[in-house]
Amino acid sequence: MDAIRLTNLAKKYGPTVAVENLSLAVRAGTMFGFLGPNGSGKSTTIGCMTGLLDPTAGEVELLGQPFTASSAGLKRRIGVMPETLGLFEPLYAHEFLAFVARMFGLDESTTRRRVTELLAALELSDTGKTLSEYSTGMRKRVAFAAAVIHTPEILFLDEPFESIDPAGVALMKQWLRRFTDQGRTVFITSHVLETVERLCHEVAIITSPGKLVWQGDITIFNDDGAIEFDGRQFRALEPLFLHLTGERSADLHWL
Amino acid sequence: MNTTLIAELIRLRYKLLWAKTRSRNGRIALFLAGYLILIAAIALLTTGGFGAAVVAVRSGKGEMIAQAVLSGIFFEAVLASNILGFGLNAIFSDQELRRYPLHAADRRIARHLIGIADPFWLLFLAMDLGLAVGLYVAGAGAFWFGFVAVLLLFVCNYLLARIVALLIDRMMQRRGGSALLLGLVMLLALGPSILQPVFRGHPERTQVALRWLQFSPPFGAASAMIHPGIQAANGILLILLWTVGLLALLIAIENRPPARTAAATLEIDWDSRYERAAAFFGPGTAPLVAHWLRFYLRNSRTRAMSLLQLPLVAFLTFQIGRQAGANGFFIAALGTFPVATFMGVARITVNQFGYSAGGFRRYFLLPTDPAATLRAGSLASLLLGAASIPILLAAWLVLAPKPLDLAMFLMLACSSITGLFLFHALALWISLFNPRKGNYQSSIGNDLSLGGNILVIGGVLTALLGPRLLHRAWPAPFDPRNWWMILALAALAAVVYRVSLNAACALFNPRRERLLAVVEGRD
Repeated sequence: MDAIRLTNLAKKYGPTVAVENLSLAVRAGTMFGFLGPNGSGKSTTIGCMTGLLDPTAGEVELLGQPFTASSAGLKRRIGVMPETLGLFEPLYAHEFLAFVARMFGLDESTTRRRVTELLAALELSDTGKTLSEYSTGMRKRVAFAAAVIHTPEILFLDEPFESIDPAGVALMKQWLRRFTDQGRTVFITSHVLETVERLCHEVAIITSPGKLVWQGDITIFNDDGAIEFDGRQFRALEPLFLHLTGERSADLHWL
Repeated sequence: MNTTLIAELIRLRYKLLWAKTRSRNGRIALFLAGYLILIAAIALLTTGGFGAAVVAVRSGKGEMIAQAVLSGIFFEAVLASNILGFGLNAIFSDQELRRYPLHAADRRIARHLIGIADPFWLLFLAMDLGLAVGLYVAGAGAFWFGFVAVLLLFVCNYLLARIVALLIDRMMQRRGGSALLLGLVMLLALGPSILQPVFRGHPERTQVALRWLQFSPPFGAASAMIHPGIQAANGILLILLWTVGLLALLIAIENRPPARTAAATLEIDWDSRYERAAAFFGPGTAPLVAHWLRFYLRNSRTRAMSLLQLPLVAFLTFQIGRQAGANGFFIAALGTFPVATFMGVARITVNQFGYSAGGFRRYFLLPTDPAATLRAGSLASLLLGAASIPILLAAWLVLAPKPLDLAMFLMLACSSITGLFLFHALALWISLFNPRKGNYQSSIGNDLSLGGNILVIGGVLTALLGPRLLHRAWPAPFDPRNWWMILALAALAAVVYRVSLNAACALFNPRRERLLAVVEGRD
């Protein structure tokens, strides 16, 4: 079954096209990497898939059901770590996580237990600081905890690993692998191609404005295999990505 | 001194000002600023300049009028620059300037030159200069003495404004600082009416005050503008001493790092007062209402205003009531009580999402109708506003003229409810259609949109003046025998709120992308 299905998704801001007829399917239980250069429409696409933005045209299906901004039942089954993190700055981490847990329908004792466990695991036990006083990495970890606290079936993570220390990233990766092993789906955007290559099963690459240029299985890279495209062989994700999105070169003689 | 880089930074300040005109709101701001500058220029030529000067010289009270005008400008500049935050831009803070190859002294000079070169300050310089030129043309004083005095007074004025801003900043970092600050602001606002009885009928006290004021910078400048020779030089020397003193004080304060309070580990409170208060709304809405209650009450400005609104209402009721004749206190309270139902929460209520920053996105990721957050926010504000009503009524029971009239008591409750509902109904529309990105942490300054300002200021003025004016034109609704009239008004206000809430909730989802752009500063 497809956990995520986009059909001719389009998003326009006035005359500006952010996403153009994007069609995509993600199988359940997949760690899916969604890649593209800056401004290619990744965050806009995630916005449309999570109810933040209304698509101008096209359809979004999650877990086999049509999804709109008002699909409260479906929202309960997904977890999102948005690009801007979506934190309420005046709150303490435990207050924020407890609020999210309660909104997602967790009972009181489960809320307390999970909040306590997440704070300890992600080393966020500095309870005397509000979120506005946290470092960027700590804020990211809180946003990640908020995305997983209700054990969603699909997890959308927009640039999840940047600014987090290596130990934190390793822990998150371990959780994400277990997550997909249980048949749940992870949809990740990232610019760190090495991480995506090692973590993801499948990848979609888009270029501006939100046009899909390639989608396929990348597990072959882990077995020292290669992907053939345009008559060329690619043994890693980075050269494939650069080939698809356009390699840039500028010779600055003074640099 | 790296003059080239400092000049580049000043140029950057103006480029950034100009860049604001690229957005729609910026164009409106530019129009208003242009309009204000025009009006100010006219004021400069009439009041501040020739008009004041000619009147001063012809009346033979040149020095006194110059002292009054210069003191007024001086005081207004300090107050306005701190309230509106002009010339105190964070992007040119010492920390930000460290990224450029500038020495500490250069950074200080750059910061203050950028600050003093703000168009706002130039306006005050123009006003001071207008007066000096006016006096010279009218035949009083020497131009060069006046010119030098104005320049020194201008620098002195800027330095004092920066010192006040720094002291406010340091005060706000301390516990209870915002309440103390708001108390001081109110004291300043109410100062004239408090001081009036102290000086009225006591000319000797006025003389003492004037003797002390001779040592103030505006009085020194007035002396330099009016008198020739040694007296003018004394005036300039006085301002020079003030300038040096203020500069030394500013450097001393800037060099002293602000006291940082270490964050203590907090005992996790799973069932806080917010959750307990919100439980009244049922399990579906309670978490959102609790969240909004926390959002309101964790805001230092909301807390401070909520604390201060009650003594302020008592003061206003007394001041307005004693001038209003028979039943004056009752008529005044019919207006002041509603003010206390929204004054504390007004800033966030009229701009409900403007202070959410990145958190605004979270509301749309929650498994609930997105409009539920608008509803919960408004209900939380309503709850906080309504909490003032029993306190106000209890105060009336204790302080009101006896014997107590129960009909009056009911009418006061109804007028409070009317104000509460009407304000919250209108605030919903301002939050949706005229929001503005604001700083949740800011403790001073006006960061509301035009609509927000109209509603808050207009709401307060209507509540304070409305009952008195209406009472003169139509006394019947104020007669306790007609208590049912205001009861009907309260019921109507509740209906207006209910209809507004439902209509605003229906419009929230379609408006969310626009709101998102404003809240995240992409407007």
